[in-house]
Amino acid sequence: MRLERRDGERIDRSRAVSFTFAGWRITGFEGDTIATAAFAAGKRVFSRSFKYHRPRGLLCCSGHCPNCQMTVDGVPNVRVCTEPIREGAVVEGQNVRWSLDFDFMSLTDKIGGPFTPVGFYYRTFIRPRAAWPLYEKFLRSAAGLGALDPHAGHTRRYDTEHRRARVLVVGGGAAGRAAALEAAQAGPGVVLVDEDPRNRDLALPGVEVLAPARALGIWEGGLVPVDADTVLYRFRAERIVVATGATEQPLVFPGNDLVGVMLPDGVRRLIGDYSIRPGERAVVLGSDDETLAIADELMDVGVEVEKVVDLRDVRPRELSAQGGKGRVRRLVLNGERYGCDLLVASGGRQPAYSLLAQAGARVEFDDSLGVFVPTELPDGVEAVGSVTGAGLPRIAPEPAYEGKGKCFVCVCEDVTTKDMKRAIGEGFDSIELAKRYTTTTMGPCQGKLCHLSSIRVYAEETRMFESAIGTTTARPPWAPVELGLLAGRELTPTRRGSIHWRHQEAGATIQWAGPWKRPYAYGEHPEDEVRAVHESLGVIDVSTLGKLLVEGREAVQLLERLYPSRFGDMKPGRIRYGVLTSDGGRIMDDGTIARLADDLFYVTTTSTGADAVTAWFQWWNAVWAYDAEIVNVTGALAAVNLAGPRAREALGRLVEDPDDVSAEDFKYLDAHELVVAGVPTLALRIGFVGELGYELHFPSPAGEHLWDALVGEGARPFGLEPQRVLRLEKGHVIVGQDTDSESNLYSAGMSWLPKLDKDDFVGKFALEHFVQREEKEQLVGFTMEEDVVPAEGAQIVVDGMPVGRVTSARHSEAVGQVIGLAWVPGERSEPGTRVEIQVDRLRRGARITDGAFFDPSGARMRS
Amino acid sequence: MALSEIFFPKRMWRPRPELKRRYEVVIVGGGSHGLATAYYLAKRHGITDVAILEKSYVGSGASGRNTTIIRSNYRTPEGAAFYGESVRLYEGLSDKLDFNLMFSQHGHLTLAHSDRAMITMQERAEVNRLLGIRSSVIDPPRIAELCPELDLSQRPAYPVVGALYHPPGGIIRHDAVVWGFARAADSRGVEIHPNTEVTGFARSGDRIVSVETSRGRVECGQVVSATAGWSSLVGRLVGIRLPITTHILQAFVTEPVKPFLDVVLVSSQLHVYVSQTDRGEFLIGAEIEPYTTYKSTGTLSFLEYSAAHTLELLPQLERAKVLRTWTGLCDLSPDYSPILGKTEIDNFHVSTGWGTYGFKAAPIVGVTLAELVASGRTPDLIAPFAMERFHTDTLVSELAAAAVSH
Repeated sequence: MRLERRDGERIDRSRAVSFTFAGWRITGFEGDTIATAAFAAGKRVFSRSFKYHRPRGLLCCSGHCPNCQMTVDGVPNVRVCTEPIREGAVVEGQNVRWSLDFDFMSLTDKIGGPFTPVGFYYRTFIRPRAAWPLYEKFLRSAAGLGALDPHAGHTRRYDTEHRRARVLVVGGGAAGRAAALEAAQAGPGVVLVDEDPRNRDLALPGVEVLAPARALGIWEGGLVPVDADTVLYRFRAERIVVATGATEQPLVFPGNDLVGVMLPDGVRRLIGDYSIRPGERAVVLGSDDETLAIADELMDVGVEVEKVVDLRDVRPRELSAQGGKGRVRRLVLNGERYGCDLLVASGGRQPAYSLLAQAGARVEFDDSLGVFVPTELPDGVEAVGSVTGAGLPRIAPEPAYEGKGKCFVCVCEDVTTKDMKRAIGEGFDSIELAKRYTTTTMGPCQGKLCHLSSIRVYAEETRMFESAIGTTTARPPWAPVELGLLAGRELTPTRRGSIHWRHQEAGATIQWAGPWKRPYAYGEHPEDEVRAVHESLGVIDVSTLGKLLVEGREAVQLLERLYPSRFGDMKPGRIRYGVLTSDGGRIMDDGTIARLADDLFYVTTTSTGADAVTAWFQWWNAVWAYDAEIVNVTGALAAVNLAGPRAREALGRLVEDPDDVSAEDFKYLDAHELVVAGVPTLALRIGFVGELGYELHFPSPAGEHLWDALVGEGARPFGLEPQRVLRLEKGHVIVGQDTDSESNLYSAGMSWLPKLDKDDFVGKFALEHFVQREEKEQLVGFTMEEDVVPAEGAQIVVDGMPVGRVTSARHSEAVGQVIGLAWVPGERSEPGTRVEIQVDRLRRGARITDGAFFDPSGARMRS
Repeated sequence: MALSEIFFPKRMWRPRPELKRRYEVVIVGGGSHGLATAYYLAKRHGITDVAILEKSYVGSGASGRNTTIIRSNYRTPEGAAFYGESVRLYEGLSDKLDFNLMFSQHGHLTLAHSDRAMITMQERAEVNRLLGIRSSVIDPPRIAELCPELDLSQRPAYPVVGALYHPPGGIIRHDAVVWGFARAADSRGVEIHPNTEVTGFARSGDRIVSVETSRGRVECGQVVSATAGWSSLVGRLVGIRLPITTHILQAFVTEPVKPFLDVVLVSSQLHVYVSQTDRGEFLIGAEIEPYTTYKSTGTLSFLEYSAAHTLELLPQLERAKVLRTWTGLCDLSPDYSPILGKTEIDNFHVSTGWGTYGFKAAPIVGVTLAELVASGRTPDLIAPFAMERFHTDTLVSELAAAAVSH
């Protein structure tokens, strides 16, 4: 029913736009929303309700209520009353079996009522238990609103933008605009956010207007995220001014959900913005002048106003709307009938205080207004306009009116006054319990249109005062927000070392190792890489190791207090293995500590532990205030481990004087500065993989150059998998794989490491305790009796019960057996003990060893 | 019979206007653990002179804020045995309580994104199998059969390489568990006192003689604290220190959409877990916040990273909308296993240290604590969870498997 052209209308009648609505082709005008175009074309039913599948039509027309949720171009739960019209859009009804006008599921409304009271599902299908899955299947098929395509992928690009504002005004009504303009007088940096698409072109001098855009909440530190469809603005403002106004509340009476029952603001939008005559015959129900004034506005556009009921004057015994096929036909008031196809009814306005409550304001019931108002605003947050309760008329209507038919408190969840009363009668006698049992306020509107009504009905039923009942907690976000928008653009940082592309070129299998991408192996046969290290020469990229420089007069004190080991007696140029322990004496991380000078140490950590160890060092150093500086050089330096019997010879060819790396001048556990292939390098002679080896640390930019030089000398690249085999042959543990958060140095077989006669260090108290007791569990080596490799994680079994676990296991060519590390009970940790390991549901025998499977004397790595 | 209540509604539990002068057992906390303990005290041991003192309404704490996941695929033999028993009890609970708890056992998948994670999965599967718990490590093709909606491609930054599959795992209606226990306890004579805050305890030596409440003093035989995130504060009122820190855990639901995800998805690497309720909402939670607090305001960054991580697994949820977010308090023990049973005070027993696992244990906590209170002996099943373990250093480490394994 489009009216003649009117002043102020937002549609452009010269530009027609067509789309499909529930299978019908509909043409509206540019400026229409999907709902207004459909309404103008005579469509009245937009959705079916959640539980009873009752037909629902436009109610608030402002994007709050659930009544116009439809699926638009495959996107479910779109409120079409605020969704702009667009050419070719496909708009479909959701949660219906057949069509919006004929929905089989509405049988639940017609005959299911007595069988499906609130909470009925708690009382049914308990026995037999076997029937529940079937019933649940039915329940699940009936649940939900719109459907997502279960196999769709990403379709949109979202961005996040960090913004600052001096003053952020939320809400573009009269009060918000005035506040923004006033703030703009004092200088720039004023932003106004409004959710109404009609404010898209709002211009205020000196004010940046974002519309349509929604402030989702006010989080800690005044963080206000603003949803602008595909951009999320994260605002931090010096002042936040909340001008979110007050939301019209439905009047609670039987039949109040019929199609044609509308809130006054919705009707005003249809007339004023879209030039639509909202009905032919209307009845107006209200208790404030603003609502009642709509009668004149209706008459102006040719609607016949059958009856205006001022609920301040009339105290009806009976008030209900009745209809046919879900549409309102008449109002029944104390036995009198007033025919209508439009029933404009309002229960008054409730301040939209959610943002303020979330920011920390208190919410109190104002007895003089009959609504909840915010008080005690937190610092930096102000409220202006009707959100404070200012200027609102007193809520005069009854909490609910009596009459024939279902009387809805919550249209989202189809909760009636009867349901509320029943819940209270059943003992759900706190408002939070009643909310959880009836699910009122838990639907798509999140209480915007039902919170006040439910509390008033509750108060009347329990004969309590609203002020004593209080509110239920306002939970962000203010309006539903897409996961995609919150997620922002996909961005997962990946760390790669400076030699990474050489590995890629060499055909390595690359895999995640903590935050890094690392080569697993350089082909199908990691055992060949193992053999190369044992027999000739291999090189592995270990740039991912954490690397710290600790320098200062008291650097040694810092390290001695962090580690259970001693470092003060080390000469410059020497290296020691170190394990960090927690306060509880548990193993945290391990690495090497090289003393480069009296006051300078070079510390390495595990690849995954680098950040945690850096933080740990810095934290303790701040506590103890030593004269020591910690510099994280993890990314600045690359590192490779050159290992194998030919390591010395190969390295000798790349340094200026081969004598620099001779067995006499560069001993096991020495740290020397060398120039290797022209690159200044710190060389550490250590032996994680059990062969003669040099760990070379040098500037990252020279990574590929030095790598190429080493490969040119015949070093075969090896990856993580061969390294795991090699270190396992030596019984070297990998912290985090062979140890867990409860492992300590004694149980992990490193009792030689802690120096308990030192002054205090982190974990000393616990270690002193451990040293006096028998460990419940021990980390030991084992060899399998047969040639089967148990899964890492396989269980050591005694009498059918798990008593221990395998942490590492591999077949070793060099040892000629399957070897591994495992945690076993203390009484089974003696070398030679036979244990059983569950492998593929079968028990296999294994022998405990001390863990050094290959070259136990260490002659090869010390050579 | 519950069905008749559809037509003839009955009160779930009675209002109790007055506190008695004395109760044999006082239970602090009207959540799932306190109510379950009261129920089993009455049902199995005939002890009905029991008062539950709840400072707010029943189920107002963690019982009504958790993400409703039930499972027993724990890492430690002690944990797996304990939770295994809990799942068995949950399976029969709708029938026993005559209240449909809507326990939906569609299976639980813990996803692995690295070979290191696969070791943990393998270990859990092996422990579980030995204890008779259905649990196995499965590969991506099998995952695809169970959950075709999951993105198993190489698109995500951390592609899925396998999963721990636990068929009996699933979700339950958490409020129903609370209400079912409350009704059953009430019908056996237990008194439930909401809006009754415990403010202090009077001791005589190593015994508590009475409990101070916001509604006056009650004398007591034994006291059970089942107060989750508030445990250390209740402990302080008694005069003991519990090794508990309180952190918040956040969760959110989306608007309801037609259900398509039946299994529970958990990813420890992505710090997220996802299920879809019988109402059609996606229920999504994350890791415990690292800082200690009692403040229940959540954070935006939680919503952002949980959304991002969820979309790594289920990109089709891109346009699903977050409806509501909330927080709950978690009581963390040093080894992520509970502290259950006796304390240094003779007649004061605790159920605490649950972290994110408390709700899963409600029925078995009820059974074992009731037995302890009634007999004075600690049942074998909970012996490993005694507080003494922090003195003897015999910890039960769920920590290694804990990084989000709801």
